[in-house]
Amino acid sequence: MMDIKTVTVIGVTGTMGANVAGIFASFGNAKVYCIGRDFEKVKRTIPRIVGSVKADVIAKNLIPADFSMLETCVSESDLVFESSAEVFEIKAGIAGRVGKTLKKTAVSCTGTSGLSITTLAGYYPEEMRSRFFGVHMFNPPYSMPLCELIPTVYSDKEVLDELHDYLDRKLLRTVVEVKDLPAFLGNRIGFQFINEALQYADKYKDNGGIDYIDAILGPFTGRVMAPLETSDFVGLDVHKAIVDNIYENTNDCAHETFFLPEFFRELVSENRLGRKTGSGLYRTIRHENGVEHLVFDISTGDYRDVIPYAFPFADKMKRCIAEGDYEKAFRELAGSHALEAEICRSFLLKYIVYSLYAAEEVGYTIEVADDVMAVGFNWCPPLAMYQALSTVSDVPVMMREYLPEICGKVDLEGLLDGVRPSRYDYRPYFRTGM
Amino acid sequence: MNKVYILGGAQTDFERNWEKEGKNMTALLREAVFDGLKGAGLTFDDVRELNKNNRVACFVGNFIAEKYTEQGHLGALLTEVNPAFYGVPSARYEAACASGSAAIDAAQTKIQAGEYDVAVVVGWELMKTVDSRTGGDFLGRAAFYEKEGKGINMPFPRLFGKLADETLKKYGTNEKRYMDALAQIAAINYANAKRNPLAQTRKWFMSYKQASTRGTDTNPIVGGRLAVSDCSQVTDGAAVVVLASENFVRGRGLRDKPVIKGYGHRVAPMLFDRKMEDNRGSSYILPWTRQAVLDAYRRSGLTVEDIDVFETHDCFTSSEYAAVSAFGLTEPGREYEAVESGMIAFDGKKPINPGGGLIGCGHPVGASGVRMFLDLYKQVSGEAGGYQISGVRNAMMLNFGGSATTNYVFVVGEYR
Repeated sequence: MMDIKTVTVIGVTGTMGANVAGIFASFGNAKVYCIGRDFEKVKRTIPRIVGSVKADVIAKNLIPADFSMLETCVSESDLVFESSAEVFEIKAGIAGRVGKTLKKTAVSCTGTSGLSITTLAGYYPEEMRSRFFGVHMFNPPYSMPLCELIPTVYSDKEVLDELHDYLDRKLLRTVVEVKDLPAFLGNRIGFQFINEALQYADKYKDNGGIDYIDAILGPFTGRVMAPLETSDFVGLDVHKAIVDNIYENTNDCAHETFFLPEFFRELVSENRLGRKTGSGLYRTIRHENGVEHLVFDISTGDYRDVIPYAFPFADKMKRCIAEGDYEKAFRELAGSHALEAEICRSFLLKYIVYSLYAAEEVGYTIEVADDVMAVGFNWCPPLAMYQALSTVSDVPVMMREYLPEICGKVDLEGLLDGVRPSRYDYRPYFRTGM
Repeated sequence: MNKVYILGGAQTDFERNWEKEGKNMTALLREAVFDGLKGAGLTFDDVRELNKNNRVACFVGNFIAEKYTEQGHLGALLTEVNPAFYGVPSARYEAACASGSAAIDAAQTKIQAGEYDVAVVVGWELMKTVDSRTGGDFLGRAAFYEKEGKGINMPFPRLFGKLADETLKKYGTNEKRYMDALAQIAAINYANAKRNPLAQTRKWFMSYKQASTRGTDTNPIVGGRLAVSDCSQVTDGAAVVVLASENFVRGRGLRDKPVIKGYGHRVAPMLFDRKMEDNRGSSYILPWTRQAVLDAYRRSGLTVEDIDVFETHDCFTSSEYAAVSAFGLTEPGREYEAVESGMIAFDGKKPINPGGGLIGCGHPVGASGVRMFLDLYKQVSGEAGGYQISGVRNAMMLNFGGSATTNYVFVVGEYR
């Protein structure tokens, strides 16, 4: 296995940088140079890194540093992990500096969540490009071990395999190799769903909009958190960057679902970025005697109380799931003719179709779609969703009935040929709590 | 006496928090029983068919659902899982953390006596329904609550911290050597859990260094010398095993199913201090634990040489330490040798807890005995996957309740 004794993490004061440094220092048992712009801020970040893996003993593995020490740190390192701001010019500038001093035997990685790895590789000296990879982890990596590994045309296959093995066996990541395409695989599938949910919130704004759609696609449909709540949690700016990147740089069977609604752009421009700024799609107000949950009402442009929707099909499903009777829950979903049940059904079916399609486009095997959604998003993965719905209905027939548009654009037969039993159990993902 | 075969079973994913998933005990039992029957190659129709002639029964192990979930009458509760259990004899067995073993013992006895052909054993506990302090107080009822539990914060870490003190006192072991051995025990269990896809701590970070650095923010002291890294987990979970008679196994053409080769069941004085008074005449710190092991060796006609893998009740590292000599792996007082030499590590000569034990895999108290027994079955039948020890012919488990008060030992092996 790759012998990684010393690591440099660049951009350590960011959430991802700090968490990744913790993974290298703990599971990797490596000495980690922690580089940030402000040395004092880096020092203040160290306890946060220790806390992220709940282990005081790694503190002595963490060496604070700033950009003036970058060359020294890099020249001593077996692995460099760049986790700077998601701005191409910044990452390209760092790649140029790292490439000049990187040891010939070392490996360099970028943690970008969607920029082109191949283009960034061009900023390394020619002889070092074979040792540069995209390594995209999900947040927080301690509990979400997904790691997308992205080689480029320059990559050395042997180094790739060794890095894969190191990430898998030493750092205990669930590693999936994917192609260097915008947003990679997890976010491509996840944000297709989330952004289309956002478009539906806009379309059904007079029915309630955001909280209406979240009530239709909540945890009882196979996820820990409802989709628009997830957008609010990861940040509206991050959501925007991901879908804009996909919309501008790809043209697939679900192209229009990556288009961002106008109201969402306005929220971003007003710096209402979600949980991290206090308001976004939702707003939480803390009072002395409790918490008030408000939601952005697209029709009025104001925040109002979240509505406790009671859709009969959803309530029945939740009661069944609470008792562990999943089949009965799926039967309620399959059998209801209510508008909300139809929306829910079509989203779950499209999620399966689009995952199969994207796995073929961005991944190398069908199973990777399951890995990215289960381990990166904590959603019932697509093959497991297929199995779940298959307990009560003929899934291909339902797909053709409810999704004529996307089914007309893809080779459904070909995609369904790839379906096989999931390695994941669907049951834990269908939940009744929020 | 009739032979008792093990058809198989299943455990739930011990990482799951059923309260957070918004699911109740019926959901837990539905999933566990469904998977358990499937793992044993049975269906609900088989249960219906067997029940026509009164040939199947259920045995439920659970410690204290009355506190955690406000529910008693747990044998009857299985009728909520599936109508196939209507009319099937079923009752709950309780012996604190050894409740699962008490249920297995009752089940094997009925099969031995020829009363039933199939016995479904279900061990379960939902513990994340309350905060850890409240849960710690509930668990105090596995000790003598009035004298050892009531009003005491976290009574069990204290009791097993006292076991550590008493071990040092009895044998005069070097304190550092002893504490390092305990840290190594923790590190081994956490490392083994990484091989087990159903272990609660499979994603957690733990190293020998972290485990041996006690009294820090991330590894605070919880009882005497023991820190968080020395403790097993608070876990939601269930485990199911299905036992069967020779008639049934033959009728189904099932060869090579493992059998129960022997057991031991001894009860030590309830109060911890009385246990320590009681051990004065013995070279063992827990003489009744040792006696239960000896009984199991005698009944199985095997010795420690014949056992290829062990499962022990590592509710705390100090209890696994004491189990080492109770199994006969070292002389009493020299347990550190088995730790230092690597004997009990995954690739050692006598591995203990290859799937992570209570520390690594988790400890839903009423399920633990059944989970251990299921792991013996998996090891002997070659179904342990990532934590399979190669060439296992016989395996032994020690499951205890309270402060090593109820002691249960089972030997499972190939039938020859």
